[in-house]
Amino acid sequence: MIKNSYIPPTQFMNRFLYINIAGIIALLAGGILSPERVWGNLLIVSYFLLMLGVGGTLLIALEYISGARWSTSFRRIPEAMSGIIPWAGLLILGVLYFRLDEYAWTADDPANPGTFWFKQLWLQPTFFMGRAIGYIVIWTLLSKAIVGISRKQDRVGGAKLSSRNRGLSALFLVIYSLTFTLASCDWFMSLEPMWFSTMWGVYAFSGMMQISLSVVILTGLHFRRQHVLVKAFSNKKLHDLGQLLIGFCCFWMYIWFSQYMLIWYSNIPEETMYFIPRLKGGWGALMLANIAINWLITFLVLLPKPSKKNPYIMSKIAIVVLIGRWLDLYIMTFPSLHKGEPVFGLVEAGAIAILVGTFGLLFFKSFSKANPVPLNDPAMKHNMHSHAVH
Amino acid sequence: MSTSVNTQLTLATFDHEANVLRATEEMRKRGFHIHDVYSPYAIHGIDEAMGLKPSRLTWVCFVCGLIGALGMLWFQHWVNAVAWPIDVGGKPWNSLPAEAPVGFEMLVLCAAFGTVFAFFVVSRMFPGKNVTPINKRVTDDQFVLALGEVDASYSIDEIEEILKKYNVLEVEETSLE
Repeated sequence: MIKNSYIPPTQFMNRFLYINIAGIIALLAGGILSPERVWGNLLIVSYFLLMLGVGGTLLIALEYISGARWSTSFRRIPEAMSGIIPWAGLLILGVLYFRLDEYAWTADDPANPGTFWFKQLWLQPTFFMGRAIGYIVIWTLLSKAIVGISRKQDRVGGAKLSSRNRGLSALFLVIYSLTFTLASCDWFMSLEPMWFSTMWGVYAFSGMMQISLSVVILTGLHFRRQHVLVKAFSNKKLHDLGQLLIGFCCFWMYIWFSQYMLIWYSNIPEETMYFIPRLKGGWGALMLANIAINWLITFLVLLPKPSKKNPYIMSKIAIVVLIGRWLDLYIMTFPSLHKGEPVFGLVEAGAIAILVGTFGLLFFKSFSKANPVPLNDPAMKHNMHSHAVH
Repeated sequence: MSTSVNTQLTLATFDHEANVLRATEEMRKRGFHIHDVYSPYAIHGIDEAMGLKPSRLTWVCFVCGLIGALGMLWFQHWVNAVAWPIDVGGKPWNSLPAEAPVGFEMLVLCAAFGTVFAFFVVSRMFPGKNVTPINKRVTDDQFVLALGEVDASYSIDEIEEILKKYNVLEVEETSLE
């Protein structure tokens, strides 16, 4: 039984379809001109999409585990994001499978000096693909279970289902922290097989929180404009999300700098090999832009309280953060794949259009499958009650 | 948090957070001057209910943090590059990445101490200060809404009548010295 279910207008959904088609055409056209850039861009956007899915489940799990009640009223947004996981997972598996030889370690030369024995064991094509399938299956199953129970509560009600989800959330957080770290190392750190960073997992996590919060802000404001979520996504909640966003942008900067400073300080060639090509020429400028976009702008704009309560500023900042995350991934990926200056052309634009289009189609479809606001969650009583008072 | 001398106050005592919050909101809307609300702990939303202006303490925090960070960066630059240059791993005298962590720590320290001490100064709190609580139970389980400068057209009974729907425990008049 779905009360007041939200059905996205066909015209609105068609817009995402057109963006997707335009993206595919641009990608194909760009692919003919510069085929070497296609794979890296597809890897970035499929990982980006997957991060939004896993990030949705992460936000739900954090809500259950911390007993947070303020975010229950708009929990259907991260739940809809979780619905992306299987599709984004299939996309990234396809991207990995078709061009696994883009990873330099697949052409491993036995004479290659310095390859650690563990890396030899770990980075093998079959094991690598098997792990990737494993991560995605685990994330899909856990997110489906958590979202399923939350939606079942709409029909059945009762605090028992909440406590079951608390248990599943704890399980998800433990498994997530391990699998997501490994997945990020597998898919991105191993692009540079001789290089390593112990900060990689937490670095990927910090970026994931940034974009997950940004997407919750953007879609929440969209639903407010459409009168789907009104009280459920009040300015008070926008303010709280803004505080989390500025916090995680600072956290990203902190982690980014911690990784950079340790490598800069010890100045060991096998570690600095990652940063040296990324500090030269156009990449150096992008590196500074990355810091400015992901942290400095967000920090300065969101610092005053009124801007965190301003829907216009918040939606613009959320878009800035999403661009920043793409740029960060672009800097992570491309200098490892090809020598040369950074390029932004048809391939990049096409891949981003595919990302936006696919996200829109999957997210709004998934959101329409349940009531926009959780109906029988005991936490909702407090959520709406406290709203009425303030 | 005004501390004017010899103020006539009307005190309304409640035993629930939500009641004092709603009562404060209504009394402010009716045009009463809210002198203060006493509570054993911070109540979410009480600032808006009392109609308090946004705190300026955040600006103190920001400026203190800025002074701490810039001051420490300048000091490290002076030590490492001007007063006593030491070669560390062949790096330039004035290496910003090496100075960032200490700059960051001083930012946090100065912002935190600056904010706390500014708060103490503004609210005139110091060790050994003698305070008589308006009602001893506001440090335990009761909430007091203090109305100042009550309009003569309202009697204490009328105020009690208004606050009855919020389960007010008692309403009394007192003068604060």
